[in-house]
Amino acid sequence: MKYSYVTPRNKTAITQEVQLLLSFFTITILMLLFTYTFLLYKNYSFAKDKQETLIEQANVEQSLQSMKKSIAFIESQKMLSEKVYTQNSVLKDSITNLFDLVPLRITLSEAKLLKNGLILYGITPNKDVYNFMLQAPLRSIFHRTYSSFYPAQNGWYRFVSTNYVDEEELDSAK
Amino acid sequence: MQSSISRQYIYLIVVSLFLFIFVLIFSFGVLIPEGKEYRIKRVELKKADKELRQYENFHYETLDTLKELQSTNRAIITAFDASFKPERFEKQNKGYFSSLSLSKVEFREVEEAFAVYEVNTTSEISSPKSFYDFLDSVNKSDWIIGINFPIDFKREGELIKSSFTMKVYSNSKETNSTASESVDK
Repeated sequence: MKYSYVTPRNKTAITQEVQLLLSFFTITILMLLFTYTFLLYKNYSFAKDKQETLIEQANVEQSLQSMKKSIAFIESQKMLSEKVYTQNSVLKDSITNLFDLVPLRITLSEAKLLKNGLILYGITPNKDVYNFMLQAPLRSIFHRTYSSFYPAQNGWYRFVSTNYVDEEELDSAK
Repeated sequence: MQSSISRQYIYLIVVSLFLFIFVLIFSFGVLIPEGKEYRIKRVELKKADKELRQYENFHYETLDTLKELQSTNRAIITAFDASFKPERFEKQNKGYFSSLSLSKVEFREVEEAFAVYEVNTTSEISSPKSFYDFLDSVNKSDWIIGINFPIDFKREGELIKSSFTMKVYSNSKETNSTASESVDK
């Protein structure tokens, strides 16, 4: 026997309000979990990228050090070679000047170029020619000049001229 | 006494409160610290990237400098790497002398991290000009050679006998080929 004309609805714990609430919180929790997963992934990715960056930076730094070493080495090679080339050029000029210094009337038989001096062996028609034309310019170049003469068979004089530069004086002049 | 709030609503409020507290705890306890860490790590990565770029820029500049140095000083680098060969030296320079002979190459010292070898030379020249030309050519030779004192010129008939010492500079064993290695890099 029916007591109502309306069909009775099924009673359940999950009412429409609860469903709405659960949907809302499900979406919220899913969004939170998605954000959390995203952050976890990004943090891992950042840490990994930073590690790789640091390794790469260390490699670049090592390569830089090696290049700096190579640059310093090449520069030292360049400096030494320039020093050697300059010494050779100076030596050439010194020898040129030496031979230009000797007047035509004096003949050299031997010349010894030392680090701090010059020894000349030769023959001169007379002492005056030697004294005025060779010894005078030598005296202006060297600090100490010694000369000795030996008579030659033809009446000329063989001479030995020993000339030194005092390195101490050169150092003090610098 | 009967309550005015139905069981349904109490159930609803309890579930809401539980979920709300869960969201709050999750947000403040987990999500926000993780977010802070994210921000810190992002800044750190940017900083590291910036530093790396600066290093790379400096690396490229240094590489350019090195390559330029290597190309402009190619002859010098090769000369320091080359070992001295007396036969080749004689062949290259015999034109300046009437006769030329070299003594055995001897190691003398290490100067400024470079090995210095010494060679005694005796030669005969027809005029001092030949010696000047030789000195010019020495600076363009395959080795780094310095003419060293004492230098002796002695007249012997029509010729001038000259004897002098040459210092040959070379990379010492420790530094040998360093410059060449860097070219390969």
